[in-house]
Amino acid sequence: MPIDQLLVTLLLALPLAGFGLTALIGRRLYTRAWVIAVTAVVVTWLIGMYLIYQTLIAGAYGEAGLHFTLYEWVPAGAFNVAVNFGLDALAAVVLIVVTTVGMLVHVYSIGYMAHDPGRWRFFAYINLFMFSMLLLVLADNFLLLFAAWELVGLSSYLLIGFWYRRRTAALAAKKAFIVNRVGDFGFALGIMAIWTTVGTLNFGEVFEALPEALHGGVIEPWMMTGIALLLFLGAMGKSAQFPLHVWLPDAMEGPTPVSALIHAATMVNAGVYFVARANPIFAEAPEAMIVIAAIGIFTAILAASIAFTQRDIKRVLAYSTLSQLGYMFAALGVGAFTAAIFHLVTHGFFKGLLFLGSGSVIHAVHEEQDMNRMGGLWRRIPITHWTMLIGSIAIAGIPPLAGFWSKDEILAGAFHAGFYWVWAVGVIVAVMTGLYMFRLMGKTFYGPSRVDPAVEPKVHESPASMTVPLILLAVPSVLLGLAIGFPPEAGLLHGWLEPTFHHAREVLHLEHHDFTLFGIDGVLLLIGATSAAIGTALGIWFFGLLRLRERPAAVERVSARLRPLYVGSFNKWYFDEINDAIFVRFGGLVAKATWWFDVRIVDGTVNGIAAATQGAGRGIRRVQTGRVQNYALGIAAGLLVIAVMYLFVVVR
Amino acid sequence: MAQSLEAYLILSGLLFSIGTFGFLARRNAIAMLMSIELMLNAVNLAVIAFGAFTPQLQAHAALIALFVMAVAAAEATVGLAIVIAIYRNRRTPLVDEYASMRE
Amino acid sequence: MQFPPTIPFLEWAWDDLLFIMLAGIMLAAAFFVVVGRDIVRSGLAMILAFGALAGIYVLAGAIIVAAAQVLIYIGAISVLILFAIMLTQTKAGPATLVFHRQAWAGGLAALGLTVLIITAIINTDWPQRVHERLWTATAEIGLLLFQDGLYVVALQVIAVLITAAVVGGVFLAKPEDVPDPGEGPR
Repeated sequence: MPIDQLLVTLLLALPLAGFGLTALIGRRLYTRAWVIAVTAVVVTWLIGMYLIYQTLIAGAYGEAGLHFTLYEWVPAGAFNVAVNFGLDALAAVVLIVVTTVGMLVHVYSIGYMAHDPGRWRFFAYINLFMFSMLLLVLADNFLLLFAAWELVGLSSYLLIGFWYRRRTAALAAKKAFIVNRVGDFGFALGIMAIWTTVGTLNFGEVFEALPEALHGGVIEPWMMTGIALLLFLGAMGKSAQFPLHVWLPDAMEGPTPVSALIHAATMVNAGVYFVARANPIFAEAPEAMIVIAAIGIFTAILAASIAFTQRDIKRVLAYSTLSQLGYMFAALGVGAFTAAIFHLVTHGFFKGLLFLGSGSVIHAVHEEQDMNRMGGLWRRIPITHWTMLIGSIAIAGIPPLAGFWSKDEILAGAFHAGFYWVWAVGVIVAVMTGLYMFRLMGKTFYGPSRVDPAVEPKVHESPASMTVPLILLAVPSVLLGLAIGFPPEAGLLHGWLEPTFHHAREVLHLEHHDFTLFGIDGVLLLIGATSAAIGTALGIWFFGLLRLRERPAAVERVSARLRPLYVGSFNKWYFDEINDAIFVRFGGLVAKATWWFDVRIVDGTVNGIAAATQGAGRGIRRVQTGRVQNYALGIAAGLLVIAVMYLFVVVR
Repeated sequence: MAQSLEAYLILSGLLFSIGTFGFLARRNAIAMLMSIELMLNAVNLAVIAFGAFTPQLQAHAALIALFVMAVAAAEATVGLAIVIAIYRNRRTPLVDEYASMRE
Repeated sequence: MQFPPTIPFLEWAWDDLLFIMLAGIMLAAAFFVVVGRDIVRSGLAMILAFGALAGIYVLAGAIIVAAAQVLIYIGAISVLILFAIMLTQTKAGPATLVFHRQAWAGGLAALGLTVLIITAIINTDWPQRVHERLWTATAEIGLLLFQDGLYVVALQVIAVLITAAVVGGVFLAKPEDVPDPGEGPR
């Protein structure tokens, strides 16, 4: 096998082996349980970096990328599916995030899980997760992707419910899996529809054959839209878009590294990656694209509105993730594919940073997660504080940090494609983002200390294994935007990804236009920066920064005036209650009705037939009286009948 | 009327019906046996009547009637013996109380 | 005195009158057998019926059969039945119910049978009687009985049958043997 194919296979095999080994002997390694897993992932990262370099910088695989088949998986006559991998520019870009953030989270977990007796399980699971995610990114056909999709779901279930003795954790893991399943159902239907339409599941073949089928009249436009929407349903489940977003906040029950890895940097991006990968299909279904954009931007503003009032630090970050994912889908929906991937990459880094930082904060205040019981920490845990500040500025979209460039590209893409409403809502969400992020910073780090007095003296900075990843993540949060996204529309990233999305953009009639700093683009840039600045300023004004005082009275006034909104937002707009009423209660009623039907009518019929037979038997049994005179009567009657018949029927 | 075969046959039929009714309706076993004797006699009458109206069959008819009588006697013997045996066991000659063959 | 050839006034033949009388007696007696409450009276009515029947046989010209009827039916079978009645009488006297519940159905069946038979008889062409009184010759019956190829086998079979019936009757009606207590332990 050529060296490149071997490296790709190794990329996948190492985390899988790490999972297997750690699962088998991890328990006996006690505190050293991390060795196998982290080593595997670090080596994976190195290999990944090499491959990424080869693909993007050295251009060794050309425009199409490296495709090869490992072995025939399902050779079943007409249904042929192989295990084949594809490493093209898009996969390589996403691999940057997956491998780097993954590796850093593994290292971070050494310190975070140092006191947890179940740490061997943890490392086994996150290795499994790495394998699943890598498989998802590298898969080259729908069935393999779906298998990896499910594996990622399984890994996240195992990790969310890691502290399985805690009831809320177990319930959250179940909720995540079930809601994901709803999406997967649509996904599976979409895959089946694809196979019945074009007879193949390999990406390359499908992306050529499906548009051909549409243009050739073999399939109707509505079928195409249907397939696109079904596939999007899967992405909705995995990336927690409305209305399948309800699992993400509850998934914070898992350990913080899990939240960082799965819910900020990798798993939830699977949906975005998939839609970007399947852009030929989506480009042929403009109605589906509009739906995607609408759902995306709606999720963005919905999640941001809930993030305002949450008290748990991780939940604010969870809703923030939802909101940023909404941005990415909005970008995909308006045809700005590259912008979506750009935001995926930058978000992976600064959200990972924020989550790991929050983990460090929680560790410092001894597992306290309520922000109202933190405060005044910025001097006590400086490294955590400064890195998180960088992360917050990045996510708010203040130039020249990474978040600004990616967010602006999304907004510009929406504007230029004519989706002004997406652009407008996006600007509002940018304001909200700055506000809630600095609310988080203010409550956590600034102002007087509201920490529990018993814990107060023990507040300490986290060990190096936790702070070093924070620093390492802070660097790309600052520089990555400039590195690959500048100048806008003409940066490195565009160069890499242009071939992948070129055709789709043509189909959608979106021409590539040059960035005009002193024209419309400059204005949009300015509006973006200003909205971010407004949000940030509001956040700082209300909640303080460094030595700036917070203003709790003002906060009180505002929340009192907007009381109903406050309550609604605090209760996540009652979506969980709605789901409960519709699906759980109502579903329970339907189930009861069906049960009644089954017991009464179906069983009743069967039992009724039996009872009827028994009753008939009992009735007929009474002929057997045992008395001969009754039998004699029977004979006489029979004789009479026969004689009458003979006389009147036969003879006459 | 004595000269018409039909009269004899109708008479025989009536006697047979009376015997049937008695057999099907009476409770006492011996009454049932008596009804059977009536039926047998009705048959005899019919045979004799046919014989009387068909000269070449007259002796045959008489002979058949004699045979029927012999059989009737044998049957009455055995039947009554059975009734007595059952009576010894059940202490009643009433047939609807012999119900041990019942389901 | 010479019997007038037909009944005065009515112009019936004597035979017809005799026939109707005997038939009437017989049917009435038979009916009483069937519906009589006291079974002894039923038995006696049965004897009367047999007697009337014997008379009808004579009218039909079968005198040997009439004689046999009287001898066998009245002399043997009726006596047998009366003995049986006496042996199976319950202390309580005649039963309260003469008929059991299916009597109605039985009556209907019998009625149907009557209608059936009468209809069949009326609707068939029967040969007319030869206008001479014919008596059955006993010698002829004797010859028929023992002639080869006709009734001799039947005769033998009937003999066996009667023997079997007698033996069987005795066996069935025999009281159970009380087992001998036997010698006690010595």
